[in-house]
Amino acid sequence: MAVKSNALKMAMAGTLAISLTACGSAGSNSTDSGNKSQATAAATTAATTDVKKAENITITFQNIYPDPTDPKNGMMKKIVNDYQAKNPNIKIELDSLNTDQQKLKLKTQAASKEVPDITIVNPSAQMKPFVDAGLFAPLNDMVQQNGLKDTFQSGILDWYTFNNNIYALPDGNNIAVVYYNKDLFKQAGVEVPKTFEDMVAAVKTLKSKGIQPMAIGEKDTWTGSFLFMNVLLRTNNGPGFLNDVVSGKKTFADPAFTDAVSSFQDLIQAGAFQDGATSFDYNAGENLFKTGKAAMYFMGSWATGGIETSSVNGKVGVFKFPTVKGKGNPDEFMLAPGSAFAISANSKHLKETKDFLNYFMLNFPKEAFAVKGAVGIAQKVDGDFKAAGYSDMAMEVLDLFKSVKGGDLAFDNTMNPGTAQGHLTSIQNLFVQKKDPADVAKEHQTAYDTNNKK
Amino acid sequence: MNVLRVSKWTIAAFVLPCLLLYVGLVFVPILVSLYSGLLDWNGIGESKFIGLQNFKTLLFDDPVFWPSVKRTLMFAVFSMAEIPIALFVAILLNRFIKRPNFLVSTYFLPVILSVVIVGQLWKTIYNPAAMGGMLNQVLDMLNLHSWTKSWLTDPKIAMYALYFVALWQYLGYHTLIQFTGIQNIPSDIYEAARIDGAEGLKADWHITFPMNIPIFKISIVLAFIGSLQAFDMIMVMTAGGPAHATDVISTHMYNMSFLSMKYGYGSAIAAFLVVLCLIATVIINLVFNRLEKKFT
Repeated sequence: MAVKSNALKMAMAGTLAISLTACGSAGSNSTDSGNKSQATAAATTAATTDVKKAENITITFQNIYPDPTDPKNGMMKKIVNDYQAKNPNIKIELDSLNTDQQKLKLKTQAASKEVPDITIVNPSAQMKPFVDAGLFAPLNDMVQQNGLKDTFQSGILDWYTFNNNIYALPDGNNIAVVYYNKDLFKQAGVEVPKTFEDMVAAVKTLKSKGIQPMAIGEKDTWTGSFLFMNVLLRTNNGPGFLNDVVSGKKTFADPAFTDAVSSFQDLIQAGAFQDGATSFDYNAGENLFKTGKAAMYFMGSWATGGIETSSVNGKVGVFKFPTVKGKGNPDEFMLAPGSAFAISANSKHLKETKDFLNYFMLNFPKEAFAVKGAVGIAQKVDGDFKAAGYSDMAMEVLDLFKSVKGGDLAFDNTMNPGTAQGHLTSIQNLFVQKKDPADVAKEHQTAYDTNNKK
Repeated sequence: MNVLRVSKWTIAAFVLPCLLLYVGLVFVPILVSLYSGLLDWNGIGESKFIGLQNFKTLLFDDPVFWPSVKRTLMFAVFSMAEIPIALFVAILLNRFIKRPNFLVSTYFLPVILSVVIVGQLWKTIYNPAAMGGMLNQVLDMLNLHSWTKSWLTDPKIAMYALYFVALWQYLGYHTLIQFTGIQNIPSDIYEAARIDGAEGLKADWHITFPMNIPIFKISIVLAFIGSLQAFDMIMVMTAGGPAHATDVISTHMYNMSFLSMKYGYGSAIAAFLVVLCLIATVIINLVFNRLEKKFT
């Protein structure tokens, strides 16, 4: 690539030189062909002499807030506009994409080493390939500016730190909870389940009353995996199962894993999820709950905002994922450190980009709080949520945050992408057919072994 | 060429820009992709040359690959089997309808619809009855309860449900192509045949079919290549799920290159797909050359 773009530059400089001599102006201008912006400026204003202006800088800001109805979109635009007003020579160019599109675009951009100045990555194992390829700039110096580092919750930046360098700053820090529809629970006469067995029983009761017990968008395979991993977090009596697999202490044939598979199947076989769950994508699944058609919904706390603005607002409560077969601690959650902003190591304006991101993150909590988007962000928030008009459900979720005593990350944030895909498919399969837990364990082990051989 | 009375160099000069564009946009990427197929590369970081290892894994150790090849080929077979039906529809339209253009355009309508829309539409139709799935509701209404299925999520049925949508969408396309072909057959041939006592289906068998073979070939090639590349519709409706039950070559390639981040391996699958397309095109050409010789 480098060779090609050099050749391109040469060609451009060549044409430039010809056009300049043709115009009859001083040929010496074309010698600094390395400075592209100046050279092109010279070409367009060949007749005039005014070349030097205040240097205008454009920073590309790839982000995943494309939806104008999403409060985060407006919030982002506000911070960006404020910054541009203060720094007239800097232009922030937004490249707003859906999550999946952004992931794909970044991968293709990364393949040709053309990462935008600011982009979005996911924590831990998902961003590791990018960091290993040296695509991101370390932000250690930048987080010290204006005390930005201290605005983050303690420990959260660890998920974005490799070899003691921070490479990205997260926009969220969420936990997995179970949302439930109080009206539907009352209608079927079921209580908030205290154990996983209660939960399966509640599913059966709801089902017998003609109420859809749970909703899930299993076409996007991570949703089922997220739930499964929470069961595993319980049957393993605590976090760290996957790390034990990586370090060789355990295999997928471990009873903790097979127990998790069979409990998970109990839930599916009890008829917890809607028919055809594997053809529902994330939004379609969530909509079942948001339109009051399903009684329970297991999801990360980021769903809170969406549920608040839906028709079931006011009828929804949350509970912690219960113990499974008496094992595990409900105060351990599936942790979901959010997607994070990273800066390209090859950015042409590294300093300015860092300054902007610093400003952006400093203002993030305040602005998020103002648009009621501050539940589950990664930074500390000053302000009274209750007084600011956050709903009871949001307050419940915030209370759950206070009880968090550690937990696990999602599978694809822990394992490499190849293994993760094997896992995701294997779990999706459980939604359409009952399998022997030992076989599921074997599928996982095979996926792990084939993707981790050296 | 001599008719044009220009030198070969002039012709070459006019062809060159297009040729360069074609080579640059088609052949070079194919070669690059073939080369990436020899790498162990995640698409981002360092790559390692591993020779034919990817192809070896692909052909002998990948439990998803051969089933997906089978589904792709089945897709092609179904698409090609549809074309005689399209021809038959075209014949009927041509013979019995006074102003067939309106009907032809109507049948063509699904082709213009974006695949995403078609996918979403059929996804809703295939939904379980409780979720508003039209097909199952109709079956329930007809008291055919045992016929209701979870069309897109039962691994045994899902693929056929997908084939059907593709057939539905492209029937109008092939009907249009065949219809145009039929209209180009001079009517005096039919008149001559009538004098000789051949009418209706008999005339079709001896006149319409042989004279339409080149058009038939176009449809077959389009259907074949199109179904080998089938991707968007499957992505929208099932994304290859549940558990690989509806994976075809192209979705498998996508999953491998972008989700599992094995770019080299994905390229190997792409290379296989290219070779498959080439072989198929050669075979189809051979078969049709024979047919054309036999009938003309």
